[in-house]
Amino acid sequence: MSHTKYLIVGCSHAGLTAMETIRLQDSEGAITMVTREETLPYSPTILPYFIAGQVPQEQIFLRDQAYFDKLNVTLLKGAAVVGADSAAKTIRLASGDEIHYEKLLLATGAGATVPPFPGIENVRYQVVRDLNDALKLRETMNQAKSAIVIGAGLIAMHSAENLAHAGLKVSMVVRRKVSLFAYFDVAAAGLIEKIFEDNGVHIATGSGVAKISPSDGGRCVVTLESGEDLTGDVLLLAAGVRPRIEYLEGSGIETDAGILVDNSMRTSAADIWAAGDVAQAPQFFEPGKTVNATLPNAVTQGRVAGMDMVSDPAFKPYSGSSGLNTFNFFGHHAFSVGLATIAEPTEDIEVNTTLLPSGLRYQKLVFQKDRLVGVSAINAALDPGIMRELIRRQTDLGAIKEKFVSAPLETGRLLMSKLWR
Amino acid sequence: MSKTIVCDGNEAAAWGVVKARPDMVAVYPITPQSSLAEYISQFVADGLIEADLMDVEGEHSVLSVLQGACLAGARTFTATCGQGLAFMFEPYFRTPPLRLPIVMSLVTRDGISPQCVWGGQQDAMTVREVGWIQMYCETNQEILDTIIMAYKIAEHRDVMLPTNVCHDGNYQSYGVEQVEIPDQGDVDAFLGEKNTNWHVALDPDRPMGVDPLTGGAAASGASLFVRYRKGTCKGMQNALRVIAEVHEEWGRKIGRHYSPLVEEYRLDDADYAIVTIGGMTGAGKDAVDMAREAGEKVGLIKVKTFRPYPLQAMLQAVSKVKAVGIVDRSVSFGWNAGPVYQEVLSTLYHRKERIPAVSFIGGLAGADITEDHFSQIIETTARTLRDEIPEGPIWINE
Amino acid sequence: MDKSYHTIAFYPQKCNGCNDCIEACARINTGEVSPAHSRIAIVKDSEDGSFGLALCRQCGEPRCVMDCPAGALSKNEDTGVIQWEETKCVNCQLCTLACSYAGITYNPVTRKVMKCDMCGGDPACAKVCGRGALEYLTSSDLYDKWGDMEDLFVPGISACLGCNSELLIRHTLRRIGPETVVATPPGCVAGVGSVGVNGFTATKTPVFHPLLTNTASMLAGARRYYNRIGRDITMLAFGGDGGTADVGFQSLSGAAERGEQMIYICIDNEGYMNTGVQRSSTTPYGAWTSTTPVGSVLRGKTQDAKPMPVLMMMHNCAYVATASTAFMEDYYAKLDKAVAAAKHGMAYIHVFSPCPTGWRFPPAMLIEIARKGVETNTVPLWEYINDGNEFHFTHSVDNPLPVQEFLSLIGKYRHLDADQIDHIQKMNKRRIEMLKMFSEQEERRAS
Repeated sequence: MSHTKYLIVGCSHAGLTAMETIRLQDSEGAITMVTREETLPYSPTILPYFIAGQVPQEQIFLRDQAYFDKLNVTLLKGAAVVGADSAAKTIRLASGDEIHYEKLLLATGAGATVPPFPGIENVRYQVVRDLNDALKLRETMNQAKSAIVIGAGLIAMHSAENLAHAGLKVSMVVRRKVSLFAYFDVAAAGLIEKIFEDNGVHIATGSGVAKISPSDGGRCVVTLESGEDLTGDVLLLAAGVRPRIEYLEGSGIETDAGILVDNSMRTSAADIWAAGDVAQAPQFFEPGKTVNATLPNAVTQGRVAGMDMVSDPAFKPYSGSSGLNTFNFFGHHAFSVGLATIAEPTEDIEVNTTLLPSGLRYQKLVFQKDRLVGVSAINAALDPGIMRELIRRQTDLGAIKEKFVSAPLETGRLLMSKLWR
Repeated sequence: MSKTIVCDGNEAAAWGVVKARPDMVAVYPITPQSSLAEYISQFVADGLIEADLMDVEGEHSVLSVLQGACLAGARTFTATCGQGLAFMFEPYFRTPPLRLPIVMSLVTRDGISPQCVWGGQQDAMTVREVGWIQMYCETNQEILDTIIMAYKIAEHRDVMLPTNVCHDGNYQSYGVEQVEIPDQGDVDAFLGEKNTNWHVALDPDRPMGVDPLTGGAAASGASLFVRYRKGTCKGMQNALRVIAEVHEEWGRKIGRHYSPLVEEYRLDDADYAIVTIGGMTGAGKDAVDMAREAGEKVGLIKVKTFRPYPLQAMLQAVSKVKAVGIVDRSVSFGWNAGPVYQEVLSTLYHRKERIPAVSFIGGLAGADITEDHFSQIIETTARTLRDEIPEGPIWINE
Repeated sequence: MDKSYHTIAFYPQKCNGCNDCIEACARINTGEVSPAHSRIAIVKDSEDGSFGLALCRQCGEPRCVMDCPAGALSKNEDTGVIQWEETKCVNCQLCTLACSYAGITYNPVTRKVMKCDMCGGDPACAKVCGRGALEYLTSSDLYDKWGDMEDLFVPGISACLGCNSELLIRHTLRRIGPETVVATPPGCVAGVGSVGVNGFTATKTPVFHPLLTNTASMLAGARRYYNRIGRDITMLAFGGDGGTADVGFQSLSGAAERGEQMIYICIDNEGYMNTGVQRSSTTPYGAWTSTTPVGSVLRGKTQDAKPMPVLMMMHNCAYVATASTAFMEDYYAKLDKAVAAAKHGMAYIHVFSPCPTGWRFPPAMLIEIARKGVETNTVPLWEYINDGNEFHFTHSVDNPLPVQEFLSLIGKYRHLDADQIDHIQKMNKRRIEMLKMFSEQEERRAS
């Protein structure tokens, strides 16, 4: 059995950030990273771009081997974890090898959800969660002329766009009234959907999947609850993700949808942390814990976990999970931070919306009293990072709120310029 | 090859410097040393002295640059006198405890005020307690030879002390005599390797703190200071032996013999003696010879080395006589007598029986002490044997 | 030691919103002047008229790099610049969400993100800014180049809290290195134990106490001998103002006249601090010292300070400069020149050295006071290079702050009345006028 001071399971954003954070404080302690992947680490976020041929395979990796060598980090590839023993402080690999650790970070990410659609077992379908999925999809795509994408999230939208770019006729199945409901309100989502439609992507909203059945030539037919039939050469499921926690059964580590963690990313077991898509962490705006499977969140949590693991004196607890993402589609750009989907003002919530459909421009600022709590925008000249920071800091805009509403870009930049030393 | 020239004492000193091959000479003019500075400069200009010539802005810096150079490893030379020595006093005082083997001619001059630019040993005698070796020369030849010997003494590992070779301003600095300049090879063989900074250095190859703060309330600090002081005193005492050895070696190798500490002249059967120092000795010896012809049993004791004080050699000399007359060319204001006189008195304490001793002060401000003066000195000293002991010092040239 | 990098500093109070920087940035990157292409943005506060900056800060732990899924952003270890590789970028714009300062932004014309690359080490924005609002600071050299060099001065010396001399010694010896003989005449530098106390020494180079009076002479002698035996050993003096301008002036003047090869650094704390804050000839007008006390009759020193660096320039030294620890980069540049000049003559650097103990101010104010000294023209920074007869200011003497902004920080000036302050202000002006005669002559000659 090998021994390591820090053991990090999972090698994407959360794991990598934690490792780099630990190395800033502890330049010598043994760090071992294990990944079920056979390759160098990459980001799941890159996969839609890889599928579209925008990035060659050799360019998708986040770090090269020399980087790990330089930081004196042992990287074990093709090493899936199948069990953990928090009492003995060991993990077990699929190979049967065991690793003893002093501190353990679980950053095993999330896998694709496959909803139990009737007939799903009879058709060939694809997901896009890891490189193998992406390679398979690319292969299938090459012989295909049409595709059906089931899902309403960013992965679904990204995939649909990239399939369209690849020349396929794409239909999307969105169970809810609109797509991207986690990030945008109805008006904004409608604008985005319109752009998709204008670019030839058919979006069928407001209707779930009734059944899926095979068709000739390997094609499949998706029958919607509305009765509409969609036929495609490729069926892509992008209906959400699910934390990979199966290997923790019997480990004594508390889980719910994901691994339950506190604001230090500590799990219920001593000396074990979890971060990224696998973690179910406290929220920013309200009580309770949630899985927030986004890249920026994975980095934030990886950093918090790494700092706590190495007892970094600059440690600050996780401020809580909230929605945030950027979205670039068909030459348009959008982003969403915080409580951006609130549509109606309430007693202490103020919503300021600017919609210019002609210019395909949308901007929405949500305030709780004098504090910014949410921003979403399409094709607007705003700095997403500044909006995010103003929300995170709960900056009291007080006297300058009106100015901020009328000129959020300039006012936001001024505020951050003054905050910067 | 040695060669014989006729020259004054300052030139003789400069020739001694030529033969000692210093690395650095520093000069600043002052009467009656100036021509020595000029000879040195000219000899450097002519390539006779292959040294750096530092013609600096004052005597204070003269000795300072030599200290710096010596700490870096240089063999050094300079000359001064009178007010120059006074101005130099600050670095002068620290040279012995730093144990820097710098050789300096003192072309002795009387002190001001009143204003005076002529000879006298007031300058050298005033600094007699500072820790420099002081040797006084009688002839121009002795000046030249002693300067060379001074390097061997100063740089001796048991000594490591700066050395003044003194000759009288005016009478010796400008007085011309025949002088033999020794062969360079002989001098090189005699002096051997220079040894200037083995013990203390400013050298990045062996970094050290030179002259750190020492002493203070901490017992360790005071004891370290005492160690430095005792070390300097020990070097001085060692110098008595080394000076004797070096003079003996010089005589053996070069062929000129000098008494290293105290010279006894016609002393063995003398009833009484006079004590002289420096250039006056020649006239003193002539007067002794004349008195001897007249039947007086008188001898002469010449002080060559005044610092370190040659107690045993002086004791041996004064033990041979029943009375002494001591001739000083300077004044001890506090004693109303000459400095050499005091030291001879101290020496006499080591004898069992008391003998009379008379202080004579003469040759101040460039005045001559003639044979006639010495005849009177001898006569006065002789009278003390008949209990005619004068009160206070006898001022010559009054 | 972590590496430090050059940076572009922004001084909002100097900015007038001319947008020259924005145009210069757009032009150098795209050939067009459209602000859409600028990686730097200046924003104006419509209420108070102040300005803010949006520009990549080239962060130490860059969040944009961490959040990039494509490995298109990376921090260059040599330059510290966060590099964006267009060929790797998938245009997801997560970086714009990662940056809190709008340092990486979306360009709607090119439909790509863009960020400052510091123009490869010669930023156009800082160059074009005529008001000094943007300044390309290369002071990271201090940490990177000299920080790795050995501190030749040991820790645990007995300097006062906040001692400027200690700061100077450590920096200077780092730069000049171990092949050096160091002279520290009696004064604070020697007093803190640089030569040693009772058997312990504080300096790793050869070091000695000269006399207060003969520093330059002793170094001259040692250097001459090293020249004779063909060794290039640097002679370095840390003299105080007393040992330099007062009692040691003769030997220094003589050595300067003879062109002795050494670096003579005068640490001017404007009085005899080590012996209890007595007046020296460089004590400024009006200053309290224990021998120019303040009472019902006397109000501090009644004469102006001896203009020591100018006197040294008149000595035809190979190199003469003034310096301040608030401007270390300037000091290091001058040390480089001094090292070169000391190969053939005397290099004299006069360092303005505020003293918390003797001047009566809190140690934490040291650098601020050193800076204000310069910014009020009390201590103009300049250099004179004999080879070529060059004289120039190394920090602008135009638009100085009122001298009171300097005086009010220091206890030794607390008693000054309006007339005395007026005298000091006038003297500062006169000093600049005199120095400008040299610099103008230089300008005329150059043109």
